[in-house]
Amino acid sequence: MSPCPQDAHCPQCPHCNGALETPLACSTCGALLSVAPETPPHLILDMELAWACADDDLQRNHRRFSRMVHPDFYATAAPAERELAEHNSALLNSAYDILADDLTRAEWLLEHLGGPTDKEERQMPQEFLMEVMDWNETLAAHACGQSSDEDLDSLRRDLHARRAAVAADLGRHLDPLPEPGAPALLEVRRLLNAARYIERSLEHAAADQA
Amino acid sequence: MAYSNKVLDHYNNPRNVGTLDKGQTNVGTGIVGAPECGDVMKLQIEVEGDRIVDAKFKTFGCGSAIASSSLATEWIKGKTIGEALAVKNTEIVEELALPPVKIHCSVLAEDAIKSAIADFKAKRGTQIGGQA
Repeated sequence: MSPCPQDAHCPQCPHCNGALETPLACSTCGALLSVAPETPPHLILDMELAWACADDDLQRNHRRFSRMVHPDFYATAAPAERELAEHNSALLNSAYDILADDLTRAEWLLEHLGGPTDKEERQMPQEFLMEVMDWNETLAAHACGQSSDEDLDSLRRDLHARRAAVAADLGRHLDPLPEPGAPALLEVRRLLNAARYIERSLEHAAADQA
Repeated sequence: MAYSNKVLDHYNNPRNVGTLDKGQTNVGTGIVGAPECGDVMKLQIEVEGDRIVDAKFKTFGCGSAIASSSLATEWIKGKTIGEALAVKNTEIVEELALPPVKIHCSVLAEDAIKSAIADFKAKRGTQIGGQA
C-alpha cells in the first residue's frame, strides 16, 4: 500500500492506529474490524476505483486479506469474533467476485456512477433480439435432438466471442471512468443488457451439454 | 413459487405457438425481451382490413412469460387493431393471477402486442407509398 499523503484522510486501525490496507482487519495488530455497510469492493480489496483491474494484484490482495479474516483462524475465538470473521470473509469474497469478472465489475461501476438500471433502460434493437431468438431456437432444437452437437458447439463459440466483444466494448466506455451522468453510461447499460442475454444462452448451452 | 392453474394450463397447452411469414405485407412481427432475466418473446399478427385474423407467438422464458404471451394471442385474435392496442398488462396479471415478481412477464406481452402492431403499421405505411 502506498504511504498516506500528509493531507489525505487515511483509514487507521481504531486499536493500534496502524494504517489500514483493508477495512476488514488490521495488518499491524491483527484485529478484526466491523465494516461500514455498502463499503465499495475496491476499498475492501485495496484496488483503484477503475475499470482496469490487474488480475495479479487482485488475487494477491484477496489471498493476503483472506489470511487475515479466515474463520479457520478464529475457530476457538469468542462467538462474536468468530461471527465477525465469517462476516468479513463473506464480504471479502463477494467483493472479489464483483471485481474479478468484467461484467459484474462493470455493473457495479455503472451503479456507483449513477448510471441507468436495467429497469430504466431496457430497449434492445430488433436485430439483436432476433439473434437471441435464433440462439434459443438452436438450443431448443438441440435439447430435443433435432440438431447436432456441432451446431451447439458452434453456437457456444459464437456466444463466447460475443461475450468477449462486449467486455472489450465495456472497457472502451469505462476507461477512463466517465463522469456520473455521462452519455457513455447509457451505452454501458445497453452492453450489459446484451451481455445478460448472452450469458443466459450460454447457461442453457452448458446445461444442455451436461 | 407456485404457478396458478391458469398459468399451468397455458404453459402445458400453449395456444397459437408458431410462426407467420414475416415477409407478408399483412403480417406484423414484434420481438421484445426482458434484460433482467434474458427472456425473449416473438409475437406476430396477421391483419385483414383492420382486424387481426391470426396471431402466433414463440417465447423462450419462464412459465409466466409463456402463459402471458399465449393468453395475449388468444385475446387479440378477432380484435381490431385499436382493440388490441387497448389490452393492458394489468388484465393479463389479473387473468393469470401473476405474483408481483412476474408482473414484468405481462408487461413483456403487452409490449409484444404493441411492437407487432407498430411493425404492421410501418409496413402498411410503406405499402401505399408513404401516403399514409
